Amino acid sequence: MRPCDSHETSQLNELKIDINALTCIAHYINSGNVIMVEQMPIYGGYAGGLEETTIVDVATTINSFVMAHGSWHLDGPIHIRWGITTAREALAVAGHAARAIDSNTHLMLGNQYYTLAGPCTEMCLLETAAQAITDTASGREIVSGVASAKGVRTNFHTGLEARMMAEACHAVAGMELSKVNDVLDRLVALYEKDYKTAPKGKPFDECYDTTAIVPTDEYLEVYDKACATLAGLGLDYFKK
Amino acid sequence: MAIKRKINVYDFYDRAKTGKKMTELEWDSVVIPETAAALKQKYNIVMDKKVMIPEDPELINNLFKAGIDMLEQCGIYCTDTGRVIKYTREEILAGIEAAPYRVVIGEDTDAIVMTPRSFDDPKPPYIQGGPTGAPCSEEQFVAIHQSYAQEGLVDCIVNGVYQKINGKDPTPNSPYEIAAVRAECIGIRSATMRAGRPGMGL
Repeated sequence: MRPCDSHETSQLNELKIDINALTCIAHYINSGNVIMVEQMPIYGGYAGGLEETTIVDVATTINSFVMAHGSWHLDGPIHIRWGITTAREALAVAGHAARAIDSNTHLMLGNQYYTLAGPCTEMCLLETAAQAITDTASGREIVSGVASAKGVRTNFHTGLEARMMAEACHAVAGMELSKVNDVLDRLVALYEKDYKTAPKGKPFDECYDTTAIVPTDEYLEVYDKACATLAGLGLDYFKK
Repeated sequence: MAIKRKINVYDFYDRAKTGKKMTELEWDSVVIPETAAALKQKYNIVMDKKVMIPEDPELINNLFKAGIDMLEQCGIYCTDTGRVIKYTREEILAGIEAAPYRVVIGEDTDAIVMTPRSFDDPKPPYIQGGPTGAPCSEEQFVAIHQSYAQEGLVDCIVNGVYQKINGKDPTPNSPYEIAAVRAECIGIRSATMRAGRPGMGL
């Protein structure tokens, strides 16, 4: 690792820390490293519901800079039932916390992505797009992902999910907020009814030619279908 | 009253050894939920989950005030010492003020310069692509990371982790953990070089 790489330390849920984290921070500071402080508040966890979790998320984010000398904060509000960051409630916590901090400080904020569905499925790509849209229109500086299939299956993640994350950010940057919220409500409604039957998708070596490192035609067709769905919701960027 | 100087990690460690004693159970089940609920009531915060991003300035500012109050009233719990680390409001505000306005991630022509953006900024966020801590096999680790590094809109990498290292579990706080982390760094560098972006930040 070089000083210009983001050196990570994590807070614990909720508003907790251990001595190891402090020791890492001391090392990072004395090495002149970029410091990324992570924490994923749990919707439905210790804090409680939507409003309480958002308040804790704001406090936690600020603490990354006060306690941990963070260069930037990596958020990731997560739904206690589904273990994902793309659920409606998790997006609302992230969107409200970021907007509150964005409006009152210059702090630089990131968010990380855990989808329920896996690679080579439209649901995974739509979940990713929903979070990228939320993050962009709530003022975050950086997005980080995607840990598809909840980030627990070995090799179930590919570069194409990151392409969707990036394109969705580009699609809504500078868009009027009321329009963004309308698109988001309709977009999340498309996949939230399918949580119990979410497709696990395919591993990397079934999504990509592993010699040339390019996506399969099958996955590109799925990607194009997701783009068409997003265009149908009013995101002109995807009409290409 | 003005603060003597900005709080640092050493002050924080000292306070972790001298703060008020409390059980972790009390922190989790009483302090956090009761304080958050009281602040929700104090600021009359009501969210509609059909609206993912707030547009009401009063709600936006009240959420920020409640977050500052939460940090000031609760502090941070240190799980190793079983003590509560407290801040003053002035220390919190000074910490915010001292946070950087500019961060360079990566080097040479692959470096990005991250600066603050606002919710309506036509400039999109930076893209950190990668499996975000998800497990990868040793055999496919480099190819998976190359698939992110070669994406034109990806600016830097967030890596996955080795599920095994030389066939062994990289158990936390074991020698295998160190071996796995070192191998991950080498693997990511190899992936970014193969993508023609050797200076990409991690």
